[in-house]
Amino acid sequence: MRSVARWALVVAVVSVGLAGCAPEVTRRPTQMTAVTEQPAGTIEVMHDASVRVGPGYTRTIPHGSLWTSIGRVTEGEVFKPVDRVFTVEGTHVHEAYLVLDGNRVVGFYLPVERAFAPMEGRAETRLSIQRRQR
Amino acid sequence: MRMSRVLFAAFLVVLAFTGCASGPKYAEVRPTLASPAPSQGRIIFYRPSALGAAVQPDIKLNGQKVGTAKPHGFYFVDRAPGNYEVTAATETEKKLTFTLEPRQERFVRLKIQMGLMVGRIVPELVDRSEAESELKDLAYIPDPLK
Repeated sequence: MRSVARWALVVAVVSVGLAGCAPEVTRRPTQMTAVTEQPAGTIEVMHDASVRVGPGYTRTIPHGSLWTSIGRVTEGEVFKPVDRVFTVEGTHVHEAYLVLDGNRVVGFYLPVERAFAPMEGRAETRLSIQRRQR
Repeated sequence: MRMSRVLFAAFLVVLAFTGCASGPKYAEVRPTLASPAPSQGRIIFYRPSALGAAVQPDIKLNGQKVGTAKPHGFYFVDRAPGNYEVTAATETEKKLTFTLEPRQERFVRLKIQMGLMVGRIVPELVDRSEAESELKDLAYIPDPLK
Protein backbone atom coordinates (compact mmCIF):
# COMPACT_ATOMS: atom_id res chain seq x y z
CA MET A 1 0.00 0.00 0.00
CA ARG A 2 2.84 2.31 0.92
CA SER A 3 4.59 1.61 -2.39
CA VAL A 4 1.38 2.45 -4.30
CA ALA A 5 1.16 5.75 -2.44
CA ARG A 6 4.84 6.38 -3.17
CA TRP A 7 4.33 5.73 -6.91
CA ALA A 8 1.24 7.95 -6.93
CA LEU A 9 3.33 10.73 -5.41
CA VAL A 10 6.07 10.23 -8.00
CA VAL A 11 3.53 10.33 -10.85
CA ALA A 12 1.92 13.48 -9.41
CA VAL A 13 5.28 15.24 -9.04
CA VAL A 14 6.37 14.29 -12.57
CA SER A 15 3.01 15.39 -14.00
CA VAL A 16 3.27 18.76 -12.30
CA GLY A 17 6.83 19.10 -13.52
CA LEU A 18 5.97 18.18 -17.10
CA ALA A 19 3.15 20.71 -17.17
CA GLY A 20 5.88 23.33 -17.45
CA CYS A 21 7.51 21.53 -20.39
CA ALA A 22 4.70 21.71 -22.96
CA PRO A 23 5.97 22.08 -26.54
CA GLU A 24 5.55 25.42 -28.23
CA VAL A 25 2.47 26.17 -30.32
CA THR A 26 3.10 25.04 -33.90
CA ARG A 27 2.99 28.05 -36.21
CA ARG A 28 4.28 29.46 -39.45
CA PRO A 29 4.75 33.04 -40.63
CA THR A 30 1.88 34.47 -42.61
CA GLN A 31 0.75 37.77 -44.01
CA MET A 32 -2.68 39.10 -43.24
CA THR A 33 -4.53 41.26 -45.71
CA ALA A 34 -6.61 43.72 -43.72
CA VAL A 35 -10.34 44.20 -44.38
CA THR A 36 -11.01 47.51 -46.08
CA GLU A 37 -14.81 47.41 -45.95
CA GLN A 38 -16.39 49.50 -43.19
CA PRO A 39 -18.09 48.53 -41.03
CA ALA A 40 -16.37 45.16 -40.93
CA GLY A 41 -18.45 41.98 -40.77
CA THR A 42 -19.19 40.48 -37.38
CA ILE A 43 -20.23 36.98 -36.37
CA GLU A 44 -21.96 35.77 -33.23
CA VAL A 45 -21.23 32.30 -31.92
CA MET A 46 -24.52 30.56 -31.15
CA HIS A 47 -23.26 27.56 -29.16
CA ASP A 48 -20.25 26.92 -26.96
CA ALA A 49 -17.43 25.21 -28.81
CA SER A 50 -14.29 23.66 -27.40
CA VAL A 51 -11.12 24.02 -29.46
CA ARG A 52 -7.61 22.67 -28.99
CA VAL A 53 -5.28 25.64 -28.93
CA GLY A 54 -1.98 23.95 -28.23
CA PRO A 55 -0.44 20.71 -27.06
CA GLY A 56 -2.70 19.70 -24.17
CA TYR A 57 -4.58 22.98 -23.97
CA THR A 58 -8.17 23.75 -24.90
CA ARG A 59 -10.31 26.89 -24.86
CA THR A 60 -14.04 27.37 -25.01
CA ILE A 61 -15.47 29.75 -27.57
CA PRO A 62 -18.54 30.82 -25.65
CA HIS A 63 -22.00 31.22 -27.11
CA GLY A 64 -22.94 34.86 -27.50
CA SER A 65 -19.34 35.90 -28.16
CA LEU A 66 -18.85 38.39 -31.00
CA TRP A 67 -15.96 38.33 -33.43
CA THR A 68 -15.13 41.00 -36.01
CA SER A 69 -13.59 40.18 -39.36
CA ILE A 70 -10.32 42.06 -39.63
CA GLY A 71 -8.72 40.42 -42.65
CA ARG A 72 -7.67 37.30 -44.48
CA VAL A 73 -4.73 34.94 -44.44
CA THR A 74 -4.15 32.17 -46.97
CA GLU A 75 -5.97 29.68 -44.75
CA GLY A 76 -9.14 31.69 -44.15
CA GLU A 77 -10.85 34.74 -42.69
CA VAL A 78 -9.45 36.28 -39.50
CA PHE A 79 -11.84 37.22 -36.68
CA LYS A 80 -10.83 39.28 -33.66
CA PRO A 81 -12.83 38.90 -30.43
CA VAL A 82 -15.00 41.85 -29.42
CA ASP A 83 -14.59 42.96 -25.76
CA ARG A 84 -12.87 39.76 -24.73
CA VAL A 85 -9.50 38.09 -25.07
CA PHE A 86 -8.49 34.84 -26.70
CA THR A 87 -5.14 33.08 -26.36
CA VAL A 88 -3.40 29.93 -27.54
CA GLU A 89 -0.96 28.13 -25.28
CA GLY A 90 2.02 25.82 -25.37
CA THR A 91 5.37 26.63 -23.81
CA HIS A 92 4.18 30.23 -23.93
CA VAL A 93 0.84 32.03 -24.15
CA HIS A 94 0.00 34.11 -27.22
CA GLU A 95 -2.90 36.42 -27.94
CA ALA A 96 -4.76 34.93 -30.91
CA TYR A 97 -7.62 35.55 -33.32
CA LEU A 98 -9.81 32.88 -34.94
CA VAL A 99 -9.21 31.81 -38.52
CA LEU A 100 -12.33 30.38 -40.15
CA ASP A 101 -12.95 28.71 -43.46
CA GLY A 102 -16.69 29.19 -43.66
CA ASN A 103 -17.75 28.06 -40.21
CA ARG A 104 -14.84 25.63 -39.76
CA VAL A 105 -12.08 26.61 -37.35
CA VAL A 106 -8.86 26.06 -39.28
CA GLY A 107 -6.51 27.71 -36.84
CA PHE A 108 -5.46 30.93 -35.18
CA TYR A 109 -3.75 34.14 -36.20
CA LEU A 110 -1.12 35.37 -33.74
CA PRO A 111 -0.97 39.17 -34.14
CA VAL A 112 2.30 39.71 -32.29
CA GLU A 113 4.15 36.90 -34.07
CA ARG A 114 2.33 37.55 -37.38
CA ALA A 115 1.92 33.82 -37.69
CA PHE A 116 -0.73 31.20 -38.40
CA ALA A 117 -1.14 28.36 -35.90
CA PRO A 118 -3.14 25.46 -37.36
CA MET A 119 -5.75 23.67 -35.23
CA GLU A 120 -4.27 20.88 -33.14
CA GLY A 121 -5.47 17.33 -33.76
CA ARG A 122 -7.49 15.74 -36.51
CA ALA A 123 -10.95 16.52 -35.16
CA GLU A 124 -12.82 19.14 -37.14
CA THR A 125 -14.50 21.95 -35.25
CA ARG A 126 -17.36 23.80 -36.84
CA LEU A 127 -18.94 26.78 -35.16
CA SER A 128 -22.62 27.55 -35.11
CA ILE A 129 -22.47 31.18 -36.18
CA GLN A 130 -24.75 33.95 -37.22
CA ARG A 131 -23.37 36.62 -39.50
CA ARG A 132 -24.36 40.17 -38.77
CA GLN A 133 -24.87 42.79 -41.43
CA ARG A 134 -21.88 44.66 -42.68
CA MET B 1 1.46 17.67 20.97
CA ARG B 2 -1.81 19.38 20.17
CA MET B 3 -0.30 22.76 21.00
CA SER B 4 2.55 22.22 18.59
CA ARG B 5 0.06 21.42 15.83
CA VAL B 6 -1.79 24.68 16.50
CA LEU B 7 1.49 26.58 16.44
CA PHE B 8 2.47 24.90 13.19
CA ALA B 9 -0.87 25.79 11.62
CA ALA B 10 -0.48 29.41 12.80
CA PHE B 11 3.04 29.46 11.35
CA LEU B 12 1.73 28.28 7.98
CA VAL B 13 -0.98 30.95 7.93
CA VAL B 14 1.53 33.68 8.80
CA LEU B 15 3.90 32.35 6.14
CA ALA B 16 1.13 32.33 3.55
CA PHE B 17 0.32 35.99 4.06
CA THR B 18 3.84 37.29 4.57
CA GLY B 19 4.72 39.63 1.76
CA CYS B 20 1.15 40.22 0.62
CA ALA B 21 0.42 43.68 -0.75
CA SER B 22 -1.33 46.15 1.52
CA GLY B 23 -2.91 49.45 0.57
CA PRO B 24 -6.14 50.87 -0.79
CA LYS B 25 -8.33 48.40 -2.63
CA TYR B 26 -8.99 48.46 -6.37
CA ALA B 27 -12.63 49.49 -5.86
CA GLU B 28 -11.49 52.59 -3.93
CA VAL B 29 -8.57 53.47 -6.19
CA ARG B 30 -10.12 52.89 -9.60
CA PRO B 31 -12.29 56.05 -9.72
CA THR B 32 -9.32 58.20 -8.71
CA LEU B 33 -6.95 56.95 -11.40
CA ALA B 34 -6.42 59.19 -14.40
CA SER B 35 -7.04 57.60 -17.78
CA PRO B 36 -4.00 56.90 -19.93
CA ALA B 37 -3.01 59.60 -22.42
CA PRO B 38 -4.98 59.30 -25.70
CA SER B 39 -1.92 57.98 -27.48
CA GLN B 40 -1.25 55.28 -24.85
CA GLY B 41 -2.76 52.08 -23.53
CA ARG B 42 -2.69 50.64 -20.01
CA ILE B 43 -1.51 47.24 -18.80
CA ILE B 44 -2.74 46.19 -15.37
CA PHE B 45 -0.86 43.42 -13.57
CA TYR B 46 -2.41 41.59 -10.63
CA ARG B 47 -1.88 38.51 -8.51
CA PRO B 48 -5.09 37.35 -6.80
CA SER B 49 -3.71 34.37 -4.88
CA ALA B 50 -1.54 34.22 -1.76
CA LEU B 51 -0.56 30.64 -2.51
CA GLY B 52 3.22 30.38 -2.78
CA ALA B 53 3.55 33.88 -1.34
CA ALA B 54 7.31 33.52 -1.00
CA VAL B 55 7.59 33.29 -4.81
CA GLN B 56 7.66 36.91 -5.96
CA PRO B 57 9.69 37.07 -9.16
CA ASP B 58 10.37 40.20 -11.16
CA ILE B 59 7.81 40.90 -13.85
CA LYS B 60 9.28 42.17 -17.09
CA LEU B 61 7.56 43.91 -19.97
CA ASN B 62 9.56 43.63 -23.19
CA GLY B 63 12.61 42.79 -21.08
CA GLN B 64 12.26 45.76 -18.71
CA LYS B 65 11.30 45.24 -15.08
CA VAL B 66 7.96 46.83 -14.21
CA GLY B 67 7.36 45.28 -10.78
CA THR B 68 7.13 42.00 -8.93
CA ALA B 69 4.41 39.37 -8.50
CA LYS B 70 3.24 40.53 -5.08
CA PRO B 71 0.30 38.45 -3.78
CA HIS B 72 -3.05 40.23 -3.40
CA GLY B 73 -1.69 43.29 -5.19
CA PHE B 74 -2.05 45.12 -8.49
CA TYR B 75 -0.28 47.88 -10.39
CA PHE B 76 -0.31 49.28 -13.90
CA VAL B 77 1.90 50.84 -16.53
CA ASP B 78 0.93 53.06 -19.46
CA ARG B 79 2.65 52.30 -22.71
CA ALA B 80 2.60 53.25 -26.39
CA PRO B 81 0.53 51.01 -28.69
CA GLY B 82 2.41 48.00 -30.01
CA ASN B 83 3.41 44.44 -29.30
CA TYR B 84 4.24 43.38 -25.77
CA GLU B 85 5.79 40.39 -24.04
CA VAL B 86 5.41 39.69 -20.32
CA THR B 87 7.81 37.36 -18.55
CA ALA B 88 8.23 36.20 -14.98
CA ALA B 89 11.60 34.70 -14.15
CA THR B 90 10.88 31.63 -12.03
CA GLU B 91 11.79 27.93 -12.27
CA THR B 92 10.64 27.96 -15.89
CA GLU B 93 9.76 31.01 -17.88
CA LYS B 94 6.36 31.27 -19.53
CA LYS B 95 5.94 34.27 -21.82
CA LEU B 96 2.72 36.03 -22.67
CA THR B 97 2.49 38.03 -25.89
CA PHE B 98 -0.28 40.47 -26.77
CA THR B 99 -1.00 43.72 -28.57
CA LEU B 100 -1.89 47.07 -27.03
CA GLU B 101 -3.98 49.73 -28.74
CA PRO B 102 -4.44 53.41 -27.85
CA ARG B 103 -6.70 53.85 -24.78
CA GLN B 104 -7.01 50.09 -24.45
CA GLU B 105 -6.73 48.43 -21.05
CA ARG B 106 -5.15 44.99 -20.83
CA PHE B 107 -5.40 42.85 -17.72
CA VAL B 108 -2.58 40.42 -16.93
CA ARG B 109 -3.19 37.91 -14.14
CA LEU B 110 -0.06 36.54 -12.48
CA LYS B 111 -1.08 32.99 -11.64
CA ILE B 112 0.94 30.75 -9.35
CA GLN B 113 1.51 27.23 -10.63
CA MET B 114 3.38 24.64 -8.62
CA GLY B 115 6.56 23.38 -10.30
CA LEU B 116 8.94 20.55 -9.51
CA MET B 117 10.93 22.39 -6.86
CA VAL B 118 9.17 25.70 -6.35
CA GLY B 119 6.13 27.54 -7.67
CA ARG B 120 6.27 29.53 -10.87
CA ILE B 121 4.33 32.54 -12.05
CA VAL B 122 2.37 32.23 -15.28
CA PRO B 123 1.14 35.49 -16.85
CA GLU B 124 -2.34 35.23 -18.38
CA LEU B 125 -4.32 37.69 -20.49
CA VAL B 126 -7.76 38.06 -18.91
CA ASP B 127 -11.13 39.51 -19.95
CA ARG B 128 -12.04 42.79 -18.26
CA SER B 129 -15.12 41.36 -16.50
CA GLU B 130 -13.19 38.43 -15.02
CA ALA B 131 -10.27 40.65 -14.04
CA GLU B 132 -12.42 43.29 -12.37
CA SER B 133 -14.21 40.70 -10.23
CA GLU B 134 -10.82 39.39 -9.05
CA LEU B 135 -9.28 42.82 -8.65
CA LYS B 136 -11.87 44.42 -6.39
CA ASP B 137 -10.28 43.26 -3.12
CA LEU B 138 -6.68 43.55 -4.21
CA ALA B 139 -4.36 46.26 -2.90
CA TYR B 140 -2.92 48.98 -5.10
CA ILE B 141 0.87 49.08 -5.37
CA PRO B 142 1.60 52.69 -6.40
CA ASP B 143 5.33 52.21 -6.82
CA PRO B 144 5.86 48.61 -7.98
CA LEU B 145 9.58 49.08 -8.61
CA LYS B 146 10.35 49.82 -4.95
